[in-house]
Amino acid sequence: MLIRSKKDWELPESAVTPEQIYRLRNRRDFLKTVGIGLAGAALLPRSLLAATAGFPSKPNPAYPAAGLKITPYEYITGYNNFYEFGLDKSDPKPNANRGWKTDPWTVEIAGLVNQPGKYDVNDLVGKVGGIEGRVYRHRCVEAWSMVVPWDGFPLAKLVALADPKPDAKYLKFTSFLDPKSAPGQRDANLDYPYVEGLRLDEAMNELAFIATGIYGRPIPNQNGAPLRLVTPWKYGFKGIKSIVRIEFTKSVPRNTWNIMAPQEYGFYANVNPNVDHPRWSQASERIIGAGLLGGRQPTLMFNGYEKQVASLYQGLNLERNY
Amino acid sequence: MAFLEKLLRSKALVTAAIVLPGLWPAWPLLRQDPSVLADPLKYVLHHLGFMACVLLVVVLAFTPLRVLFPKWGIALALNRHRRLVGVSAFVYAALHFATHLLYEGGFHVLASDVTKPFLISGLLAFSILLVLAVTSLHAAVRWLGGRRWKNLHRFVYLAAALAAYHQIYAQKVFPIQVVWLFGPLLALEAARVVRQRIVKRT
Repeated sequence: MLIRSKKDWELPESAVTPEQIYRLRNRRDFLKTVGIGLAGAALLPRSLLAATAGFPSKPNPAYPAAGLKITPYEYITGYNNFYEFGLDKSDPKPNANRGWKTDPWTVEIAGLVNQPGKYDVNDLVGKVGGIEGRVYRHRCVEAWSMVVPWDGFPLAKLVALADPKPDAKYLKFTSFLDPKSAPGQRDANLDYPYVEGLRLDEAMNELAFIATGIYGRPIPNQNGAPLRLVTPWKYGFKGIKSIVRIEFTKSVPRNTWNIMAPQEYGFYANVNPNVDHPRWSQASERIIGAGLLGGRQPTLMFNGYEKQVASLYQGLNLERNY
Repeated sequence: MAFLEKLLRSKALVTAAIVLPGLWPAWPLLRQDPSVLADPLKYVLHHLGFMACVLLVVVLAFTPLRVLFPKWGIALALNRHRRLVGVSAFVYAALHFATHLLYEGGFHVLASDVTKPFLISGLLAFSILLVLAVTSLHAAVRWLGGRRWKNLHRFVYLAAALAAYHQIYAQKVFPIQVVWLFGPLLALEAARVVRQRIVKRT
């Protein structure tokens, strides 16, 4: 007979937030739900939570859900590319919640800055002035898209905190390395730890965001707890998960996918319907959660954020700098 | 063993073994698995392509099995179903192709497909299987004559190579299933070639 002992990360069914509150339709619902989500979060054992500081977040009215259809929570948290926890999109949800600890979590700010340091994630949230809610489009390089209600803080605030020196031109983000907890790292399916980079001016753009939450709750492990980068005008793989180090550098840092397949993945990874991936078209995208015959929608230049970011790339050949 | 041999001679059983795995995507859909429901058609698309590869490998394994083990009843029983399994591989490939068109939103995607080696390889493999399926009719065999028919149907090896390439490039990192799918076939074919050389020499 198999006697199963309950792991400390397992929750009783009663702690699960009812599905209907995840199926939000508009911002009013979203606002109402933030409170309920927090009540749910209060029931969770502390060991499971990522960065808890700052909740409930206040939605930033500049990035509303208006006109967007928010993707249901179970798809955002159950359809994940997080190769550290397996290649299949169903892998990260179970594998990232088998004892991998994202609390406490320390992130290091290093390199060409006047204020280097190591911060506990919750302290960092306090230092940057708390968190806010933003609804962003999310476009994967694999030609599918979601709409995600993130919680977190603008990356520009972290840059200000770090106080970069004049010769700092890039940010190099490094994810965690813990092969004991991450089966994908044991298999070495990519070069680990995962690395990503941004130009300093990209990092200071108003859209660049560090997420600590989704749907008004601390971000689940499989989505990159406790800190992940969100750059909604770029393909999803730029959004490095579970960041442990942010280094300000003089030269361009090579990102993991660029190292793996340079002819397919560049440094910029800006969403661009006119530049195909070598293996598939980027002109349109499947909408996650739209069902069996949900169809596609046209992909927008810079994922619809042309107004905010186009000026960053003036004079840059986007076909060559994919 | 004799019982298994008898079972494997049954066309109905082999047909069931071909059709039932194709219905697999219904299971996670019924289970409401969010990772499948997120983009269910993609799941169906990949599954149909995978089934086509499996059946192609299986039918190609029949001949080397018979050559290597000429007295083995199971190899002989399996070789009765060469056309059935081969045509089934084509049917799955056709369903996979149709799903691709549905997934991408119409025939217009073919214009962009033909510029990409990953997609051309799939299209070519499918085209070869289409020709082979059509010429698997008795009338076509008679019309072509044995030798020409045989030469034409050797293109199945090219289709298999293209399918392996297509499957490798369907993923962002090397999919290990290609090795355990096509690896044993390669080993069997190598053994068959060695064996035929030895037989020729003696």
